[in-house]
Amino acid sequence: MIAVSQEHLQYLKRIARRRHAVSITRLLVLVVFFALWELGAALGWFDAFILSSPSRVLAAIGRLYTDGSLWIHVFTTLYETVMGFLLGTGLGVALAVLLWWLPFVNEVMDPYLVILNALPKIALGPVLIVWLGAGMSSIIVMAVLVSLVVTTVTVLGGFTAAEEEKRLLMRTLGASKAQTFIKVVLPAGVPHMMSALKISVGMSWVGVIVGEYLVSRAGLGYLIVYGGQVFKLDLVMAAVVILSVLAALMYGAVALLERKISP
Amino acid sequence: MGEPLLSVEHIYLNYHTPQGETHALEDLNFTVDKGEFVAVVGPSGCGKTTMLSLIMDLNPPSSGQVRFPLGPCPMGYMLQRDQLLPWRTVEKNALLGLEVQHRLTKESRERALALLQKYGLGDFLNHKPGQLSGGMRQKAALIRTLALSPELLLLDEPFSALDYQTRLSLADEVHTIIKEEGKTALLVTHDIGEAISMADRVLIFSRRPARVKRQVTFAFPKDMSPLDRRADPSFQEYFAEIWKELDR
Repeated sequence: MIAVSQEHLQYLKRIARRRHAVSITRLLVLVVFFALWELGAALGWFDAFILSSPSRVLAAIGRLYTDGSLWIHVFTTLYETVMGFLLGTGLGVALAVLLWWLPFVNEVMDPYLVILNALPKIALGPVLIVWLGAGMSSIIVMAVLVSLVVTTVTVLGGFTAAEEEKRLLMRTLGASKAQTFIKVVLPAGVPHMMSALKISVGMSWVGVIVGEYLVSRAGLGYLIVYGGQVFKLDLVMAAVVILSVLAALMYGAVALLERKISP
Repeated sequence: MGEPLLSVEHIYLNYHTPQGETHALEDLNFTVDKGEFVAVVGPSGCGKTTMLSLIMDLNPPSSGQVRFPLGPCPMGYMLQRDQLLPWRTVEKNALLGLEVQHRLTKESRERALALLQKYGLGDFLNHKPGQLSGGMRQKAALIRTLALSPELLLLDEPFSALDYQTRLSLADEVHTIIKEEGKTALLVTHDIGEAISMADRVLIFSRRPARVKRQVTFAFPKDMSPLDRRADPSFQEYFAEIWKELDR
């Protein structure tokens, strides 16, 4: 162990203190937000029937829990999102590999990809329902569509970012195209793939919730639509709160994966 | 002297862009003997690098041929920048070529490790390239090439991305390594001093379309190191001679 100077200790202490300050303030923001919300509802600053309140949201979650439907809604939405996410990123990466491998096809497809990327895939929702029926498969396909194109575009960008000179190096070593891909292009694309995953997580939630708005008999999106229609805003808020927690957890899982993979 | 190791014969190369056709090489002829260290100098953009990729058979010439009269000649290529893969350790980088050619055996691995050990990278086997200095990285790149046991080394301005001091000391080291390992080398450079200090003979290329304008064989005592050559009185004379030829 190298002797650590006073100055360095002070420096370490300073950054630790700062980190604590940030964490505590973050927590405080959340606490103050909920406290004001609750207080405002209790003191009649706004109509709690319209804006609900944390205690009402908790009560709504409690009711869902006791009548046993909470887990049904959570798992329905979670299942659809995870499936949409896995299929969307899986197919997206596969498509990116294919386009990298076939430059001619890539060049042909380029304008179509640009248009597909710009198109709001949600607009296809009603068409999907006609094609696939008003069920879970329409919702999952919606989530796939929303995350697929953006994954392809981002990952393909990562593949083509592998420097020309690194590929020249592989040629001088006598590498085949497959070897160049596996040893250089793919690892060089990992950071891009990770950011694609992060975008794709959010996109899958969008796809699933919109899908559930259009067709569903269960799920958090269903709860939101149903709650809105019968003016149970407590239910709507409860679903939104659960949704935020789930989305944060899923994003956290991807961030953890990123830290595991990249050095 | 018998047959040369490498014989470049009547090479023409034109390359095409939508803007038109460029004559890069025109009736290029030269030979390199086994064990010789030959440098190529010429104006920038005169097709020196193109010539190396022709010899390496990465691109075909428009006409003419590259022959190896002594039989098949394994070659190694060293690029301007080290191009070490940042996610691999130094050891894994050095073994990359062997891996790619499916030649990674216990023996070849030990040979590569011995080279790393011998040339001062032994303590950095598990380091990532990012943790090494520019000179050490380029040395690791050279060992990646040497691990494949090439007969002929093609060096494409391998020191140009380094700072001056590193360049001088690394040139010294690389010269030693190449001589110790008994390799033949063809060095492309725009640095006249580098050519004089390292090579046995220098080929001066003309402006595009390039051909060999002249060649100069150096009469330095055998085993004189590049740094000592730079201090030798004849160094300046050679420098002036080549400079004048390039300028003409």
